[in-house]
Amino acid sequence: MAIVNIEQFMIDFFSAYQCKLLNKENGVLQVELTEELDKVLMNRPFYWHYMQNLGQKGVPMTLTLITNPEKRDQQGEWIDIGSPRLQQIFNHVTHHEKYTLLFQEVNTDKNTPLYPWLLANFKVSYRGRQKKEEIISLGIQLVTGKVIVNMMDELNKLNLKQQISNFCYTISPIITLASGYKRIEKIIQHYVENQPKEWINEAIETRNEEIALLKQFYKDDLENDIVKKELEEIHNRYTPEIAIDVTSGGLIYLLQQFPEV
Amino acid sequence: MNRNQTFIKELEERLDSDGPFSSFQLFSLGYQAEQARIVPSFHGLRSLDFLPHMSFLDHQLETALEAIEKMNGRVILADEVGLGKTIEAGLILKEYMLRGLVKNALILVPASLVNQWVNELNTKFYIPAVSHRKHHNWGGNTILVSSLDTAKRTPHQEVILANEYDFVLIDEAHKLKNHQTKNYQFVRQIKKKYCLLLTATPIQNDLMEIFNLISILKPGHLGDVASFKEKYSGNKGKQEADAYLKQLIERVMIRNTRENTNLKPSNRIIETILVDFTKEETEVYQQLNNMQRGQDIFTKITLLREICSSREACFLSLKKLQEANTPDEEIHSIIQKINELPAHSKALKTVELIEQIGNEKVIIFTEYRATQLYLQWILQQHGISSVPFRGGFNRSKKDWMLQLFKGKAQVLIATEAGAEGINLQFCHHMINYDLPWNPMKIEQRIGRIHRFGQENDVKVYNLAVKQTIEEHILNVLYEKIRLFENVIGELDAILSDLNIQDMEQEIETIYRESDSLGEAEIKLENLASIVHKLADDMNEKSVGE
Repeated sequence: MAIVNIEQFMIDFFSAYQCKLLNKENGVLQVELTEELDKVLMNRPFYWHYMQNLGQKGVPMTLTLITNPEKRDQQGEWIDIGSPRLQQIFNHVTHHEKYTLLFQEVNTDKNTPLYPWLLANFKVSYRGRQKKEEIISLGIQLVTGKVIVNMMDELNKLNLKQQISNFCYTISPIITLASGYKRIEKIIQHYVENQPKEWINEAIETRNEEIALLKQFYKDDLENDIVKKELEEIHNRYTPEIAIDVTSGGLIYLLQQFPEV
Repeated sequence: MNRNQTFIKELEERLDSDGPFSSFQLFSLGYQAEQARIVPSFHGLRSLDFLPHMSFLDHQLETALEAIEKMNGRVILADEVGLGKTIEAGLILKEYMLRGLVKNALILVPASLVNQWVNELNTKFYIPAVSHRKHHNWGGNTILVSSLDTAKRTPHQEVILANEYDFVLIDEAHKLKNHQTKNYQFVRQIKKKYCLLLTATPIQNDLMEIFNLISILKPGHLGDVASFKEKYSGNKGKQEADAYLKQLIERVMIRNTRENTNLKPSNRIIETILVDFTKEETEVYQQLNNMQRGQDIFTKITLLREICSSREACFLSLKKLQEANTPDEEIHSIIQKINELPAHSKALKTVELIEQIGNEKVIIFTEYRATQLYLQWILQQHGISSVPFRGGFNRSKKDWMLQLFKGKAQVLIATEAGAEGINLQFCHHMINYDLPWNPMKIEQRIGRIHRFGQENDVKVYNLAVKQTIEEHILNVLYEKIRLFENVIGELDAILSDLNIQDMEQEIETIYRESDSLGEAEIKLENLASIVHKLADDMNEKSVGE
C-alpha cells in the first residue's frame, strides 16, 4: 500500500485545500474546514442552502481526526485506512484531482527549454472468478517519443509547479497528444497480452462446468425463463474481462535531461 | 478487453480551455489514494487491511476465504449458533465490495434483526448499509437490509424481481427449505451474482431441504430433482453411507462447529442451584399436586410448573380455570392460600445470586410473563435495576431495551420469544429462572451470550425448586442427557434418529397420555435413558474414528 502515514496524508490534503490546522499533536489532528471542503465532506446541503438564502456567511465545521490508538477514546473521529471519512477523501481526490498541467521548477538566468511529456496512470483490472488490479504509470516525451515506466516515481523527485519558471520556455510537441496516447496504450496492451493466462482458463472452465450442471438439472425444460436467468448469471459471474482505464494524467514540461540518473 | 478513451479527450479539452488543473500535491494525493485502494492479487482477503479494528477468529477467516476463492461466492454458511455467521458474511461482502465486484446488495433477514444487521455492517465493516424502511427504494447502488416478509409483499416483490443484485443474502435460510412456499419461489427468482444463505440448521428432517437450498445457489449441483428424490428423499439411513453426496454438499456449504473451533464448551461454567420451598409454599404445592379436579394431568403439570416459577403465574392460570368452569371450592381455597404466600423463595434466591455477582450484567430467562413482571418488581424492591424483553415488543422498543441494558440497567429479564438472534456478548452471567422442556431452547439462550466476541467465561445458573417437578425435569433432561456437555448438534441427530421432532412436544405428549404423575415420570426416565445411550454410542463411534 502506498499510504504509509495516514496522518501525513490528511495533513497534506487539508493544507492543499487551505484549511486551517488548529492542532496536530500525537496523532490527533484538528482542522477547521473551508466552505468548499465542508460542502464536500460534511453532507449538509440544506445548511448551506439556507445560509445562502439568508445572505449570510456559513460557518464551516471543525473536525478532530484521531489516528493514534492511545488517543482513541478521546472526542473525535477515529481514522484508519478503512474508515468512511478517509474513504470519502480518497473518493474526492480520485474524482477531482485527475488532470494536471505542470512545469519543472528551474532556478536559472539563461533561456532554458522545457520538453513536453504526456503522463498517464493506467489501472488494469483483470476479472475472472476473482479480480485483481494493477497501476502502471507511463510517460512519453512528445518530441522524441521516448517512453518511461514508473513516471510518477520520477516526478516525485522533482519540484513541479503550475507556473513556468522565469527564463524557461516550452518546446511544442511534435507528436500530438492523441497519437502519443495511442503509443503508450499499445505498450500497455502488449504488456497485458503477455501476462499469465491461467485465470482466464480457470474462469472459463468453471463457467462451462456450471452451465453443464444447469442444463442437466433442467434437461426437459431448457426454454424455461429461470434457466435463461441462471445462464445469464453464470455468464456475468465468470466471463473473463480485462479493463484498461486511466485514473489520472496530464501534460508536464520537463528539462531535457529527464529522468535524471 | 475494454479500453477507455475519455481520458485523452478530456485532457485535450482542458488544455484548450486552460484548465482546471490540479496542483502536483493534490494530483499526487489522488494517485496515492488510487494505489492504496487497488487489489493487487486474485487471492487473499484484501479487506483485512481495511478493517484493522477487527480481530477475526481463524475459522471466520478461513470460511470467508473458502467462500470466495473455492466456492465463488455462492455458499450456505451453516455454522452452529454463536460462531459468527454474521461476521463471516460481513467479511465476504466487504471483500467483494473492495474488489469492485459488488456495488449493490439485498440482505433479507428476520424483521427483528434488521437494525442489528444495519448496525453491524456499518460499525464493524464500514459498509454503508441502510434499512429499506429508511431508504424507500429497492434500486441504486445501495446495500439494503430488509425483512423477507416485507420484500416478498406486493408491490415490493415486483420491483425487486425487476432489479439485478450483485449480492443477495438470506439470514435464517431454513425458511426456504420447502420449494413450494412463496418465500422459496421469490428468492429463487431474484437476479443475483453472489448469494449467501445463512442457517444454523441446514437439514432438519429431510435431505430434500438441502437439495432445495442448493438449487437456489447452483441448480444441478446435486443432480436433477427426480433422481435425487428417488435416491435420498425421506430415507435418512442412507445419507451417512453416501460419502459422495456429503462431499458434494461440502462444496457449497461451510459448517463450523464449536468442536472444531476454539470456542469450546469448556469455557461455559454451569451451576445448578436448588432452592428450598418454605413450609407454606410446600403446602400449596402439595395441595395442587393432590388436586381432585386435576384429572387432566397436563393442566396439573402446568400449574405445578407455574407455582415453582411465581405465585402470579399460577394465580393467573387458576383464575382462568375458575372462570371456565363452575365455581370450585378447591380451586378457590388454593387461590386464597396463594394470595397469602410471602415473596417466592426462588425469586429471593435470584436476588441473592445477583447481589453475589456484584456489579456485572445479568440476563434472566423465564417462561412466564407474569413471572417476568414479578421479578422486575422484586428486583426493584432490592434496588436492582432491570429491563424487560419479550417477543411482543416492536422493533424500536426492543432496540431501546437493549440500549438500556447495555447502558444503565444491570439485569435483562427476557421471555423466550424475544430472544431470537439478539447478541449480548457484553454480558456473561445467565440465570435460567425456569428451565424449558426443549433443550434446544437452552442452547439458543446460552448462544445469546456465549458467542463470538465473548471475552469472559460464560456462567450459567440453573434454578430449580427441590422436591418438585422442576428438580425432576432437571434430573431427567439436563443431568441424564448431560445436555450441557453434549454438543447440541449431536442431540439434534439423536432426536431425529428417534423420530422426535420437538422435544417439548414429546414431553407434553408423555404427560398428556399418562394417567398419573408416576407413570409420566417413568416414561420420561425411559426417554432419557434412550437418548443417553444413543449419545454414548455416538461418542464411542467418533472416538473410534
